[in-house]
Amino acid sequence: MATLLRTPAGWPRILLARAAAKDPTDLDAAVADGAFAGLRRAIRDLGPAGTIAAISGSGLRGRGGAGFPTGEKWRMAADTDADQRYVVANGYGADPASHTDRTLMLLDPYAVVEGVAIAAFAIGASEAFIAVRAEHGDVVARLSAAIGAASEAGYLGTDVLGSGRDIDVSVRTVQGAYMLGEETVLLKALEGKRGQPEQRPPHPARRGLFGRPTVVNNVQTLAAVPWIVREGEDAFSSTGSTHAPGTVLVQLRTPSGDGIAEVPLGTPLRDVLKLGGRLPADRSLKAVLVGGPSGGLLPPDALDTPYDFASLRDAGAHLGSGSVVAVDDRTDLLELVGVLTRFCANEACGKSIPCRIGTKRLAEIVDRREAGLLRPVDAQLATDLAHDIAASALCDHERLATLPLTSGMRYFGSEFDPERRPRPAATEASR
Amino acid sequence: MTDTIARPEGRPVPATSARTNADSLAERLLETQSPQRPQSTPRIRIEVDGRVVEGFEGQTILEVCRDNGIEIPTLCYEPKLPGFGACRMCVVEVEGEEHPPISCSRTCEPDMKVQTQTEEVRRLRRTNLELIFSDHNAYCLPPCQNKCPSHIDIPGFLKANAEADWRESTRIFKRTIPFPSVLGRVCPAPCEEHCRRDEVDEAIAIRDSHRYAGDQVLKAQLDDDVDPPVPFERQVRSGRRAAVIGSGPAGMSAAYYLLIAGHDVTVFERDPAPGGMLRYGIPQYRLPKVEVLEAEYESVMRLGARMVTNAGLGRDFTLDDLTNQGFDSVLVAIGCYDTNKLGIPGEDADGVIDGLEYLRTATLGLPYPDHAGKRVVVIGGGFTSMDCSRTSVRQGASDVTLVYRRDMKDMPAADEVHEAIEEGVTAIFQAGPVRVITDEASGKVTGVEFIRMALGAPDASGRRRPEPAPGTEFTIPCDRVLLAIGQGPELDWLAAPGNEGPAATKQRRLKADAVTFETDRPGVFGTGDVRIGAATVVQAVAEGRRAAYAVDAFMKGLDLGAIRTRQTLAEPQPEFLSIVPFTAEIKEPRYRMQAMPAEERNHDYVEYELPYTPAAAVAESTRCLQCTCEAIGFCDLRRLGIEYGTTLKTLEPQFHQGAGYRSITENRFTGINHDYIRDDSHAFILREPSRCIDCGRCANVCAEVVGAACYDFMRIGFDTLVTTPLDMSLNDTPCVSCGRCAETCPTGALMPKPRVLQKYEVDESRCILCGICVDACPYDALRDGADIELAHTSRTDPVIDLIALAAIDRETEVTYIRRERDWAARAAADGRGIDTSRLLPMLPPAIGGVPSHGGHGAGNGHGHDHGDGHAAVAALGPGGHE
Repeated sequence: MATLLRTPAGWPRILLARAAAKDPTDLDAAVADGAFAGLRRAIRDLGPAGTIAAISGSGLRGRGGAGFPTGEKWRMAADTDADQRYVVANGYGADPASHTDRTLMLLDPYAVVEGVAIAAFAIGASEAFIAVRAEHGDVVARLSAAIGAASEAGYLGTDVLGSGRDIDVSVRTVQGAYMLGEETVLLKALEGKRGQPEQRPPHPARRGLFGRPTVVNNVQTLAAVPWIVREGEDAFSSTGSTHAPGTVLVQLRTPSGDGIAEVPLGTPLRDVLKLGGRLPADRSLKAVLVGGPSGGLLPPDALDTPYDFASLRDAGAHLGSGSVVAVDDRTDLLELVGVLTRFCANEACGKSIPCRIGTKRLAEIVDRREAGLLRPVDAQLATDLAHDIAASALCDHERLATLPLTSGMRYFGSEFDPERRPRPAATEASR
Repeated sequence: MTDTIARPEGRPVPATSARTNADSLAERLLETQSPQRPQSTPRIRIEVDGRVVEGFEGQTILEVCRDNGIEIPTLCYEPKLPGFGACRMCVVEVEGEEHPPISCSRTCEPDMKVQTQTEEVRRLRRTNLELIFSDHNAYCLPPCQNKCPSHIDIPGFLKANAEADWRESTRIFKRTIPFPSVLGRVCPAPCEEHCRRDEVDEAIAIRDSHRYAGDQVLKAQLDDDVDPPVPFERQVRSGRRAAVIGSGPAGMSAAYYLLIAGHDVTVFERDPAPGGMLRYGIPQYRLPKVEVLEAEYESVMRLGARMVTNAGLGRDFTLDDLTNQGFDSVLVAIGCYDTNKLGIPGEDADGVIDGLEYLRTATLGLPYPDHAGKRVVVIGGGFTSMDCSRTSVRQGASDVTLVYRRDMKDMPAADEVHEAIEEGVTAIFQAGPVRVITDEASGKVTGVEFIRMALGAPDASGRRRPEPAPGTEFTIPCDRVLLAIGQGPELDWLAAPGNEGPAATKQRRLKADAVTFETDRPGVFGTGDVRIGAATVVQAVAEGRRAAYAVDAFMKGLDLGAIRTRQTLAEPQPEFLSIVPFTAEIKEPRYRMQAMPAEERNHDYVEYELPYTPAAAVAESTRCLQCTCEAIGFCDLRRLGIEYGTTLKTLEPQFHQGAGYRSITENRFTGINHDYIRDDSHAFILREPSRCIDCGRCANVCAEVVGAACYDFMRIGFDTLVTTPLDMSLNDTPCVSCGRCAETCPTGALMPKPRVLQKYEVDESRCILCGICVDACPYDALRDGADIELAHTSRTDPVIDLIALAAIDRETEVTYIRRERDWAARAAADGRGIDTSRLLPMLPPAIGGVPSHGGHGAGNGHGHDHGDGHAAVAALGPGGHE
C-alpha cells in the first residue's frame, strides 16, 4: 500500500476519515465511527428523492476525472422508466501509476460499500457491482469481507434496514487494458464483451448495463456520499472550492517523495506539491504532469492553478486519475511525452479510427523527433492531427490521449523545436 | 480474467416498458428501425443545412437526412443496426454544441439546427480518411491501368483473352478506347512499363494482346460481316446533333461515344479521307490503312456517324456556319500539324523538309519526289522522326542519319530505335544542329553542322538538359534534312470572322477546360492534341472519350460544373497505386511477337510484325496476375477518398517530401502500416484483411443479425483488426456462408468468391430425404415434389433433375468478372438503389454483353441477395425442371 502523506491540520478529512482504523473490516468499529449512519438516514429520513436532492445540493462531482454532477446522474437514472436499474462502482483504477482508488478501498471498504448502497437505494436499483482489477486480490478480499459483514448486519441484502428494499452488492473483477476505466467500456466488459466504448448520448444513466439505466460512479465519489448524507450537504459544500466542493485523493510523485493525500478541491497546485517535501537543492522543477498518462504538462509558473476540474481543464490538464507528478530539470520532456503518447496509442481499444490510427501517428511523430528525423512540417502536423482527433473523439480516452503532446507543445515549445538535437544519451527520467 | 455479470433472467417484460429493456443491438433495432415504428409516431421537424425536413420522433439525424435525400458519409453504419460510432465519418455540427456529434447515434430533437457540410466537419472527415489510407495497405487499380492515359480495364480484357473470348475482350477494351487494333499497333504502351508481372519475370505484352483480340473481331467483320461489339447499350436517340471537327483518334473516339449516347454526329475532315495523323502521320508498315484503320473506323460508321471530308475549319466553313446548320454542339479536335522551327541559320534552304509533310506524301503510298539515293538527315527523337527515318530507308535513301540532342534512353521513341538501326539507320545521340550548310550557287542543302551536347542538370521533364559543348562541332554532309522536332496546332482560324469566342493559350494551344472541355464559346468544346499539344494516340483517344462525356452532358442540359466532381469519380485516380506484393508465380517469360527479318522489311510497307498464334495469345494473357481490387466501383472508402480529395494530387504541396508520394498509403500521416495475409480458405467468402478499415460492420451484422458471431475486434491499439477468433480460418468458425459480411463490407476486405459448380452426382442409395439440399440449392435444381411432402417422395421418381442441373449455365470466372465489372447493371439487377444523380450521363445503363448470359448474374452465386434466389430459375432455360 502506498504511503499516506501528512496533510495540513486544517484540511477536511472526508474520504480518509476512518483511515486510521486498526482493522478496516471491523464493522463494529466502523459503525461506531459513523459507518452506515448515512444509509440509515437516507432510508429513514430522506427517502430516495430526498437523498438525490441532498447529493445534488452538496455539489458533489464525479471523481473519475470528468467532474459530472453526481446528483444529476442519479436523477437521470431514477427518472428513466425501467424494470431494473444498476449501480456500478468504478474501482478499476486504470492508471497503473496511481493507487488512489485501491488505497481507499483497502483503508475504508465500508465507505465505498455504504456509498454504493445509498446510490442503489436512491435510484431504485436492487443490484450493484463494485468493479475491481482482478490482479488486486487484496482489494477483492477486503471488499468481499466488508460486504459479507454488512450483509450479515442487515445493511445490505434483503429488506435493507426495514425499508422493504433489496440491495445486493457484489465485487466483480475485470482485467484488461487502460481503456476499462472509461465507464461505457467498463460496462461492456461487465457484460462479457470486448471493452470498447459506446457513443454518448445515450448516457449510461439512461441506457447502461444490459440496456438498463446504470449509475457508474468512481469509488471516491461513492465514498463521499455517506459523509454527505450523514453530515449534511451544507457541511460538504463548505469544503473544497465553490464549484467543486469536497476532497479528492491525489497520488503525488516528486523527486523528494511519493504518496497519497486527501486534498480539498481548489487547493493551489503549489500546495499539493508541497506535500511531497522540498526538492533537493541541486534540482529545480521543470514541469508538473497532472492527470496521469493522458494528463497535461503544466509549467512551473502555472503552480497557482487551483486543483479542480474547471481550472485544470482551462490550464490544459485534467484531474484524471488524481496523479500529480513533479518533473525535474534532468528530464527530457520530449522523452516523457513520447512515453505517454505511446502508452495512450498502445492502449487504444481500436474501435474509433482516428484514435486507433491517429494516436499511433502522433506517437510516430514523437519517435521521429527522438530519432532526429523530424520533418519541417511535423510540428504543424501534430497540432492539426491532435485537434482533429480530439474534435471527432468517441470517448474520453481518445479526447485526452493527445493532451501530453499538445500541452507539452503549448508550454514547452522550445523543447519540441525540430532544430534541437536529441540528447546524446538519455538521462534518467524523473520518476 | 474478467468476471462478468450474468444477463438478467428473461423475466416477462411489460409491454409498456419495452423501450428500455433492449439488451442487444438487435433488440434495440426493433425499437429504433422505422418499419417497426408505428405510423402514429409523432413527426418532428429539424433544420438541416438551412432546409427544414421532417422525420419521426426517435430517429437519428442520419436516418432523417437519408430519408430526405441528404447525403452524410458513413463507413461503419449498417442500416440494419443502430449506429456504431466507430468511423467518425458522419460527424455533423449541431447548433449550440461544443463537440460535433455523430449523426448515426444522435437522436433528433425538434427544431435542432444541423449543418452537414461545414468546413470543420469536412476537414474532420478528410483527416479521418487520410488516417485510414495511411494504414490501407491495398490498391484500387493495377498499375498498368493507372498508367494508361485512357485507363483501360487491362486485367478485364486479359481475363477474357485467357478464355479465348476475343469478342468480350474487345468489348471490354472498347469501353474506354474504340480502336483496339489501331492502338495495338501504334500505342507506346506505357502500361507495360508498370506491369507487376515484371517483378516475377517479364511484363505482359498488353498491347499485343489487345491487338490480337481486336484483329479477330476485325477479321470477323471483314470476312463474315459480323458487327463489332458495342461496349454499352446504345441509348435512345436524343435528337441532338453534334459536330466533330477532325477525324483523328480524338475526334473519332468522341464521335463513337457520342453516338452510343444517342446523339447524331457529323464528323468534318479537311483531308480527302478520315484518319488524321493515323492516316497521314503513321506509315503503312506500322498501321495498315485499309485492313486496320479503315476497318476499325467502320465500327464508328456503323453506329451512324456522318462523315464530311474535304471540309476544313477556317478553310471551308466557320463555327458560325455550324451553328447556323443547327448543330447543338461543336467539338474541335483538329490536332497539331504545324511543325516547330529549329531557329538556326539556313533552315529555309531548299532540301529542308517538314517531316510531317514528308510523311503525308509517303503514307499516301506515293514515293516522295527524288528521295531514292539521297543522303538524308532526320533531326528529332520522337515517333515522327522514327517514322521519317524508317520510311526514308524504305524509299531507297542511300544514307539515313538520325540525330537527337539527348541521350538514347531519353528518347520518346526509344523502343523503336533498335528496329530502325537494324533496318540501316545511323543514329547519333547528344548532338544538336547549329546551322544548315547550303551550296551558295544552287541554294541546295549540302550538309548540317552539329555540336555535341553534354548532359546537364535534370529539367522539368526529369531528363537531363543538353548543353552545347564548345569546340565539338562536326558536319554531316547530306542532300535532305527532315525536321521532326515536334508540332503545334494550327490556330489561324481563331482570328477569322465567324469563329469568334474561342481563344488560344500562351503556349499557342486551344484554350479549353481540362475536365469540361469548354472553350470560351458556349457549346464549343476542344479536345485532343489541339488542347494538350502533340501527344500519343492513346492520350488523344482518352481526351476524345472524356470530351464526349462533357459534350453529352452539355447536350442533355446538365450542369457542367457538377460534372466536374462526377468526372473525377468516374475516372480512375492515377494516384491509387498498387503496392501489394505479388504472389509466388511460376516463372513464364513473355510470348513475343516475331518480326520479319530486317533486310526483308526495310524495303517493304507490309506490316513487319507477325501476329500471335491463338495459343500464344491465350498463353500470354493467362500470365496476367489480375491485380485489380474486386471491390472497385463498390468501395465506399475509394468513393469518399475521391470526394474528399484525399488523393495525393490534392494534398498540400508542403507536405510533399523527397520524391513525393507513390501510393495511397502515402500521405501526410504515412507511417508503419499493416500487411496481412489473404484468407481464401473459405469456399464462398474471400478475406483480404489488408483492405480492412476496422469499421466493425461484419462483426456486428454477423453477431446481431445472423447470430453466428464469426468476427470481432482482435488485439489492441494500432494493431486492432476485425477478424475471426485468433485469426483462424473462416472455415473453422460457425460461418453459415450467408454472405452478409461480404455484403456489408464497405471495402474489398470481404468479398464473395466466384462459385464454380462442378458436376454433382447424387448417390441416391444413401439419401435420407432430409431435404437440406433442397433448402440450400441456390439454383433450385433440387426440389420437393409438387403435391407430396418431401418425406414421402418416391424414390422411383427422383426429384433431383440431373439433366436440369447439368443444363444450368454455370457460373464461371468469366461471368463473375463480367458481373463484377459491370457494376451498375449488377447493382440494378440486385435491386440496389443507385443514385442516378451520382452517375455520369455516359456510364453504362445496362450491358449488352453476351446474350447467353443475359438473364444471369443477378441474385445468386455471390450471396448478396437472399430473398431473390428464385431469380436463378430463369437461368434454367429450355432444359429447365418444370
